[in-house]
Amino acid sequence: MTFKGIQVAADSVCDLPVEIVRDLDIRIIPTYVNIGDQSIADDGRGLDRQAFYRQLPSMRVQPTTSAPSPGEAEAFYQKMLNDGAEKIVSIHVPDRLSGVLNTMRLGARAVDAERITLVDSLQLTFGIGLQVWAAAELAVAGASLDDILEAIERVRQHTEVYAIIDTMQYLQRSGRVNSLVAGIGTLLKIKPIVRVADGDINSLARSRTWSGAEAKLKALTLDQAPLDRLAILHIDNRLGAERFLDSIGEIAPQETHIIEVCPTLGAHIGPGSIGVATLKQDWRN
Amino acid sequence: MSSCRNTYGVDGKALKRALASAIGQFSQHVEVINEMNVFPVPDGDTGINMYHTLQRAYSEISDLDDSDIAEVSRRFAYGALMGARGNSGTILSQLLKGFAEELQSTKALDTPHLALACKRAAQFAYDAVTSPVEGTILTVAREATETLELHADEGLALSEALDILVRAAQASLRRTPELLPILKESGVVDSGALGLASFLEGLAPGDGKFDRPEKAEAPVAARPGVSMGSSGDASYGYDVQFLMLGKDLNIAQIRQDLEQAGWSLLVVGDDSTVKVHIHVDNPALPIDYAVQSGAILDDIVIENMELQFRRRPGQETSSAAAPKHQAAEAYGVIAVAPGDGLRAVFEDLGCEAVIRGGQGRNPSVEDFLVAIDSVSASKVFILPNNRNIIMTARQAAESADERRVDVLPTTSVVQGISALIALRSFEDSGEDSGGDLDSAIREMRAAAQQVCSIEITRASRDSRLGGLAIGCGDFLAIGDGQILVAGATIEAAVRDALAKALKAEHELVTLYYGDSIQEREAKDLIERLSFTYSELEFDLVFGGQDLYPYLIGLE
Repeated sequence: MTFKGIQVAADSVCDLPVEIVRDLDIRIIPTYVNIGDQSIADDGRGLDRQAFYRQLPSMRVQPTTSAPSPGEAEAFYQKMLNDGAEKIVSIHVPDRLSGVLNTMRLGARAVDAERITLVDSLQLTFGIGLQVWAAAELAVAGASLDDILEAIERVRQHTEVYAIIDTMQYLQRSGRVNSLVAGIGTLLKIKPIVRVADGDINSLARSRTWSGAEAKLKALTLDQAPLDRLAILHIDNRLGAERFLDSIGEIAPQETHIIEVCPTLGAHIGPGSIGVATLKQDWRN
Repeated sequence: MSSCRNTYGVDGKALKRALASAIGQFSQHVEVINEMNVFPVPDGDTGINMYHTLQRAYSEISDLDDSDIAEVSRRFAYGALMGARGNSGTILSQLLKGFAEELQSTKALDTPHLALACKRAAQFAYDAVTSPVEGTILTVAREATETLELHADEGLALSEALDILVRAAQASLRRTPELLPILKESGVVDSGALGLASFLEGLAPGDGKFDRPEKAEAPVAARPGVSMGSSGDASYGYDVQFLMLGKDLNIAQIRQDLEQAGWSLLVVGDDSTVKVHIHVDNPALPIDYAVQSGAILDDIVIENMELQFRRRPGQETSSAAAPKHQAAEAYGVIAVAPGDGLRAVFEDLGCEAVIRGGQGRNPSVEDFLVAIDSVSASKVFILPNNRNIIMTARQAAESADERRVDVLPTTSVVQGISALIALRSFEDSGEDSGGDLDSAIREMRAAAQQVCSIEITRASRDSRLGGLAIGCGDFLAIGDGQILVAGATIEAAVRDALAKALKAEHELVTLYYGDSIQEREAKDLIERLSFTYSELEFDLVFGGQDLYPYLIGLE
């Protein structure tokens, strides 16, 4: 057992690339995708993303997703403490959209609530990842808990997550963002351009065509420059993501990733969508 | 084995048996619980989540042959904790954990212990939720426990105590819509609450589980009654619910008798009031049975689940969208539409008033004035959606209040819909905070002009127009007031019109099919067209307009 100071943890919805997770020793607890009778850990191993997204449109019953169990959360934290962590900063998918924080809270309480700080990222996918990434960098550098929490807040304030929802069909069935669904309407195919903020998803614009939606996404993204970090997000649409990156190439920073969104989130949004997660340079000021 | 026959004190083996049987029964209710969804669509997962939680819990005790109730309850709770899925599953796991903790110093469960354990369970559950919401599984757990506590010292047998618990849970379940407005709006009880009530009902001694020394059945075996797939079947059937009132009603018998009549059967209540909820192909069957039984029927509700499914969007808009549109209430929109489907489309996009009308049926100034009066917004847009209606709309706007009412001169339904989406998009952007009327109008006009509109109709006589020989009964494609093509069949007219009007920048073809076209027919057409135009996206929408088999938008 080695003394490790502050350990950063998150759930798999943060969509951080494995290299970053590995290099900064971030601990990730998987959420679950439930297909029929099977409950599969969304840990990037148990579930073949490509196959999952290819099959999603033809699945008779839409998959559901679920949080880890309280028992798993307990074991997750216990292991980190056993491995020498003095304190844990645990950053998660918003309370408003998921039960993850609640089970993590139960797990933390069963282990040692004093030593575990739970953070509602109020973000999704790499919007969470940007917070986790910055927190882990600081933790590795030996920063204090207060400094880490303050940095998370700053990252959050300088982050935007925008996406084109290619089809509303999956969000309609998922039932997690009813206000968005009801606002957009359900009879026509409409591609909303959404913003994730404050733990919720809201429409910023609506387009009936992909190119209209993409133009809007591009304008929103360019507005965020200069960028410190950028991820182009997609769900089974790598080509679309690459094309979009080309179109905004001039503002793409060194740290640019193309990331396929995890099935836990993707199951609710559906294949075809693309999006961005941006972090403004100003956040370091 | 004999110790468990004592209804005054139940040991671990008896508890295990009761749990097995309760889970088995729960499996029969999974679908009903899933469907107890705020939206009337088969996509809820509360039932399956709770069922998985219970199954995982049982796996911890399935090989256990221990009469120690502390051990059985502890391991069951541990399994639930590990397998908890979804919010209801998590709360259920906390209930079981609290329940088990109270039993840790016990050898046999009796009524006072049951009351204490339930109380602890409810406390644990409340404690597990950051901001407890009433009208949910939490309320049912708490209220059932409170009722039981009132009777805890009356020397009741355990079976009697459980009976009280179950009835109290069911009563509490029925009250959930009173506590949670969204349930009431949607006409459902809370799904997690129903799950808990169903589970408790399975434990209850009505079937004598605690008294019956039979070998426990593994709950997994009871699964076949549940079919995940049935919700995706082509036929949704009817959802039938009613109350049976009478004396000495036998729930078990009713359940058994109705089992064959349909699926997703739920029979709950007591010997004087029984609630039946069943999905059937023929709604007459269960009702006939209930009448024949001599019971008095009340609260009969029959719903066509397929229509319910299709009607869903409108319902959502009226309830869930309300808060969103309040913010944007500066703009009210009045549209003219010639069919029920098109009316629904406009309403779905937040249109306050839709006037029925169109080609050959132009609304009057008065029709517009009535509509303007009915809209509360401070600024009103009218979408006339027909060349011949624009004048009337303008006149109405003038006589109402020119400053309040603006007419967007949309000449087709397709244009009107584009303009309306542009307005909503503009509102979404938040750039509208100052009520920037000019920008709103600019966005709407631009959108209306960008979309290309084609109308397919039928020639009523022979004629010759613009170099086209048109026979009576030919199908015509009209675009921008011009006859584009004439064809002998609808499909020929649609195809020729597309070939003529499609431009490189077009991505999406929307077809609104009229009341003379069957859905199947329209779907087949779309399928064939998407072979020809594989790079285009197609959207098929029911328009319900007369005279025009198809209205088509290209954008």
